[in-house]
Amino acid sequence: MKTSNLPTLRAIFGFAVIALVTGVSSGQENAVIWEGVYTAEQAARGETVYTETCIACHGQDLGGNSNSPGLVGMGFMFLWEGRTLGAFYGKIRSEMPTDRPGHLPAQDYLDVVAYILQKNAFPEGSEELPSSVETLDSISIVSKP
Amino acid sequence: MIIRTARPYGVSLITAHTVLLTLAFLISTSFSAAQIEDFTAVTDEMLTSPPTGEWLSWRGTPAAWGYSPLDQINTENVNQLQLKWSFALDDTGAVQAAPLIHDGIMFIPSARGVIQALDAVSGDLLWEYRPALPTEEFINSGEGTRAAVLPPGAFAGVGRGVQKNIALYGDMIYAATETASIRAIDARSGLLIWETQVADPTLGYFYTAGPIVANGTLVTGITGCERYKEDVCFITGHDPATGEQKWRTSTVARPEDPGGDTWGDLPLRFRAGSDAWVAGSYDPEANLIYWGTSQAKPWARAVRGSDGDALYTNSTLALNPDNGQMAWYFQHLPGETHDMDEVFENILIDVDGRKSLFKMGKLGILWQLDRETGEFIKGTDIGYQTIVNLDPITGKISYRDGMIPRIGEELNMCPSTSGFKSWRAMAYSPDTSAMYIPITLNCELATFGPTERQLGGGGTGPVRRVNYHHPESDGNLGEVLALDIPSGEVKWRYRTRAPFNTAALTTAGGLVFIGDWNRTMSALDAENGELLWQVRLATSNQGFPISYSVDGKQYIAMPVGTGGASWSGSLPRELTPELSRPRNGSSINVFALPE
Repeated sequence: MKTSNLPTLRAIFGFAVIALVTGVSSGQENAVIWEGVYTAEQAARGETVYTETCIACHGQDLGGNSNSPGLVGMGFMFLWEGRTLGAFYGKIRSEMPTDRPGHLPAQDYLDVVAYILQKNAFPEGSEELPSSVETLDSISIVSKP
Repeated sequence: MIIRTARPYGVSLITAHTVLLTLAFLISTSFSAAQIEDFTAVTDEMLTSPPTGEWLSWRGTPAAWGYSPLDQINTENVNQLQLKWSFALDDTGAVQAAPLIHDGIMFIPSARGVIQALDAVSGDLLWEYRPALPTEEFINSGEGTRAAVLPPGAFAGVGRGVQKNIALYGDMIYAATETASIRAIDARSGLLIWETQVADPTLGYFYTAGPIVANGTLVTGITGCERYKEDVCFITGHDPATGEQKWRTSTVARPEDPGGDTWGDLPLRFRAGSDAWVAGSYDPEANLIYWGTSQAKPWARAVRGSDGDALYTNSTLALNPDNGQMAWYFQHLPGETHDMDEVFENILIDVDGRKSLFKMGKLGILWQLDRETGEFIKGTDIGYQTIVNLDPITGKISYRDGMIPRIGEELNMCPSTSGFKSWRAMAYSPDTSAMYIPITLNCELATFGPTERQLGGGGTGPVRRVNYHHPESDGNLGEVLALDIPSGEVKWRYRTRAPFNTAALTTAGGLVFIGDWNRTMSALDAENGELLWQVRLATSNQGFPISYSVDGKQYIAMPVGTGGASWSGSLPRELTPELSRPRNGSSINVFALPE
């Protein structure tokens, strides 16, 4: 089969981005996600949003189903390790919920991110997730140091 | 049609019926605006040979051609079609409706278990069945298996409440629910007659496909089998009068059964998938039902821990509807490993005297099987896929070099995990001896990832996806492909930027009707693919168009709606970003020629 150059270029670009992010993620500053970047109260608000808006597709246990990816455990880390909280927030803000993408208040999206972090055993802290995308972009999703 | 109007049903009637409820915790809130007085009971004979103008099965007849013998609307006059009526459907979930027509009434399923009966000529509502959530009081009472576990308001993890098809038999409508139960609803009144819990939804089980009726047995196929649990997917047969289960046939070979070794050493709990999420077909002469099964879960061999064939995944099963016994099976893709589902519709056609079954999965291989024996007759690769080679003599597939995914390694493959073909059923026309197939042209850079091998874990496994246009698509996602039967030769292709998002409908008027994601409903000349008529509707066309007649006048009905799986969202969003659709607007739209 003939293939166009486009997918090849996208693949190379994709690898480059992943390599870059992965490289950065090994830096000490990115272990900050393990120092508490959200509060328990924020995660509790996020659980309410999740139950109202996300649970029908992603499930009570955040495990997903055939049409919706899991949001916890190995599946979550496979999809998101080495990427930033900014990227994760941006993804769900632009694409979720699928029947009305982007239509929740910005704070709801942040709270859901906090809930998902909590369910993935990232520790709570004393400050809520920052609303600045720039700051979120500085926090990488990495395995426990 | 005689109807008795404005008769809301009181509690007493509902109470009288609840003696037949298998589970009584679900409070019916059926509201009937009318009682249909002259409803004719639907018989087995009528299902096999529907009265003129009726559409009694989800694809017209048990042979599932998706073909209407009506020809009043034809290639000469289709450009005069006018909207006769439209009716809004619920926007509370995904709508992929397959309406039925009987006695001048349209019965239509929509999201979250809602079923409506409409006057097929005027669009007037005759009755509506609307299931209620369990009340908080009842949930707190601890009664019922669902209520004890599911929180109020949450149909957790079972998708968006789609019910594709319903069945008509006797004077009942039969439906399968997002909470893994089946229901019988009085076709005259919309009242719930019985409900039977078939599986535990807290384990992930649910239905998206509705039942069919075969030789007096109500048959349904379950889905939601991707998580690891102490049981597997199945197809069941029920008594239509009571809902009592007559038989249950596993769609996965258990370790102790024949074929049980095709999953390697995996115990039953780690044999996931083989969902039966598309309704089957029925041959009354052979007294066999034909039902597809999905791919194994997790999708990739390396993730699920076995490179065995994994029977009876991705197979066509021929079952006796009386007892569920398997007469034969044909596994299309043994040991499938890319999410290439083969579960879809089974079209029964006699070719040169040979009773055949035609089917196509995500890979775009049109299979012809002998439906009496399961023997492979012919396979036609439509030529877009890059994953397998097909032996034209034996029908066996083999994976191309380097195309078996490894965990964490990117694979360049066509189609994407969304597939070329999906639930959007193809249609056959005996007039042209051709199959009309809705195809989505797409490819993917896919990286399959690991999942937890523990109870409650499993699932499909994560995939990092980068979708891209198929190199031969010229930037189009949508294609209607017309293939000659039985040669498999291409008659024509009709392409659009947007993906087609409905089943195809063929008619004796020489027409193919189909709808796309970009709100456009089209009529094509079945002979040459020429576009003859188009109209834009409220939102993406989605579901199963039908044709019917009442009092000698032919109608075309097109469902539209939103929701559904990734291919109805992510592919257009990523690959045709200039297109958009309203997020609501689910409806049924009925067209006819001017008076």
